[in-house]
Amino acid sequence: MGINLTGEHLEAIKRHGEATYPEECGGLLLGTLEDGVRVIREVLPLANVRPDSRHNRVELDPRDYLKAEREAGRRGLGVWGYYHSHPDHPAEPSGFDLAHAPFTEWAYLIVSVRGGLSAEVRAWSMRHDRSQFDEEELIQIEETA
Amino acid sequence: MPRISIPTALRQYAGGQASVEVHGAKIGEALASLTAQHPDLRKHLFDAQGKLRNFVNVYVNDEDIRYQQHEETAIKEADEISIIPSIAGGAVTEDEIKPAALPELTKEEVARYSRHLIMPEVGMEGQRKLKAASVLLIGTGGLGSPLGLYLAAAGVGRLGLVDFDVVDHSNLQRQVLHGTRDVGRPKIDSARDRIADLNPHVQIDAHETALKAENAFAILKGYDVIIDGTDNFPTRYLTNDASVLLGKPNVYGSIFRFDGQASVFYPKAGGPCYRCLYPEPPPPGLVPSCAEGGVLGILPGIIGIIQATEAIKLIIGEGEPLVGRLLLFDALKMKFRELKLRRNPECPLCGDHPTIKELIDYEQFCGITPEPAEAPGASDWEITPAELKAKLDRGEEVTIIDVREPHEWQIANLENYGSKLIPLGQFPARLNELNSAEEIVVHCKMGGRSAKAYEALKQAGFKKIKNLKGGITAWADQVDRSMPKY
Repeated sequence: MGINLTGEHLEAIKRHGEATYPEECGGLLLGTLEDGVRVIREVLPLANVRPDSRHNRVELDPRDYLKAEREAGRRGLGVWGYYHSHPDHPAEPSGFDLAHAPFTEWAYLIVSVRGGLSAEVRAWSMRHDRSQFDEEELIQIEETA
Repeated sequence: MPRISIPTALRQYAGGQASVEVHGAKIGEALASLTAQHPDLRKHLFDAQGKLRNFVNVYVNDEDIRYQQHEETAIKEADEISIIPSIAGGAVTEDEIKPAALPELTKEEVARYSRHLIMPEVGMEGQRKLKAASVLLIGTGGLGSPLGLYLAAAGVGRLGLVDFDVVDHSNLQRQVLHGTRDVGRPKIDSARDRIADLNPHVQIDAHETALKAENAFAILKGYDVIIDGTDNFPTRYLTNDASVLLGKPNVYGSIFRFDGQASVFYPKAGGPCYRCLYPEPPPPGLVPSCAEGGVLGILPGIIGIIQATEAIKLIIGEGEPLVGRLLLFDALKMKFRELKLRRNPECPLCGDHPTIKELIDYEQFCGITPEPAEAPGASDWEITPAELKAKLDRGEEVTIIDVREPHEWQIANLENYGSKLIPLGQFPARLNELNSAEEIVVHCKMGGRSAKAYEALKQAGFKKIKNLKGGITAWADQVDRSMPKY
């Protein structure tokens, strides 16, 4: 299962991570599943609704998910993943990430933000037995109309 | 038939459908109907023990079933049911954070809390959560008294107290934190002494001030749970607004005469706030305070202990909180009732498009305007107790009309001066008993009700009327110190 997205999408994720630094950010990835490849069509930045520990925790509002799902449906898209930032930590999933990841079908993108500047974005998938994440290749595609 | 909408990622296990029609009158039945039609969904929604997986939220029309009756939540034909993943992440694993967050219990604390520790719902972890927790009590009066006593006894690690009042004799009938010897002391001092004696393991942070828009954020932000034990509308709206804006749970309670109510306002957890229940305060003077209307002494005991129970449940994360439910208590009938409360999407504070983003002037919001400064004796519609006494002593003819209720008359009255009882409620009907040629002085307990009587008389054409300034309470303070006050 690969993940396709444009350079613009990557930039949007990095900008969101930089804007909320030193707090974590999060958002949803809207797109389609084409021959087993998750093709991201839109990056949807959302609010971190965690009241505490915002420098190392992010939580999305379930109502925002519901709205995103409805909006995606109207445009023939679906919610195929989510991204969040790790301020001053590597772009690798933590034990907390593993315990709180909802779907084995999703793409999980993590952007590392160091000292306020985004470093790398890496993509992960959760195994079907939920035992661990495996890194996925991020395939950058051309802008789509 | 109701429909359940399926998140994109799970649609492949539901025949590719975005939503599925289901049977059932309750959520549990609807989910069973869903997995019966699409067995592949089962392992994605439920764990091996058949419990909903921790990341699965079920909403009925935008409300989380966890804040309703869980899988027992009733559903109707047209309801829209949604399965929504909870999405969270973080750079550090929970294990790296947890040990530092929960303090250990000392040997003395283990002995003290043993009846908690042997209950699996509390246990060591719950008791350590209580020790780590901080709770702010706004008010140390009727509700604040049982709250302070029981939360301290239960082992809440840090209690914040907000009060600026002084203990009065009339408090002692219900405010059990304070004793007879404390009369005249600041409430916050006697509360601190009593709580420290009850449980020296509790840290007490005293805020001897009135809660105001200027200091509310600074005070509230240091606490996990906010408890509203206030006795006035401006502070109640302020407590609500500051709690919502800070994302903190507000454990609400209120009491009047024989009736009480309680709820937990927590929009962050999907529930409503106080403004969803009461968007506007009542006009000033319409709803009497406990000082005017009275309150059964044990009533704040019952309501305060319900609030304390809710605070402890929120801290240890057990049970079903009073989020989205308003509990009503009637002491005369000895009945509890429960009303379902919904978050108002139009709420200016916690709705979908909030317009209140900072604290406002709550006195003004509640229609309370500061009293204009007045020279003593300068107002021509009022008479002070001393002026009235002087008139009576000179033998002048004055008709004194007491507009209070008969049970108040029994406590204290001006019968010796020929006072006549006409309760305010009977006022228009009994005006014919009065002679507009005579000089009339109206009074009540403190001057509020008699001001209304004054207006009614004026409208009826009476000219020679005065309102006794400060009511019979002021008379007792300034003229007859042997008169009982209530």
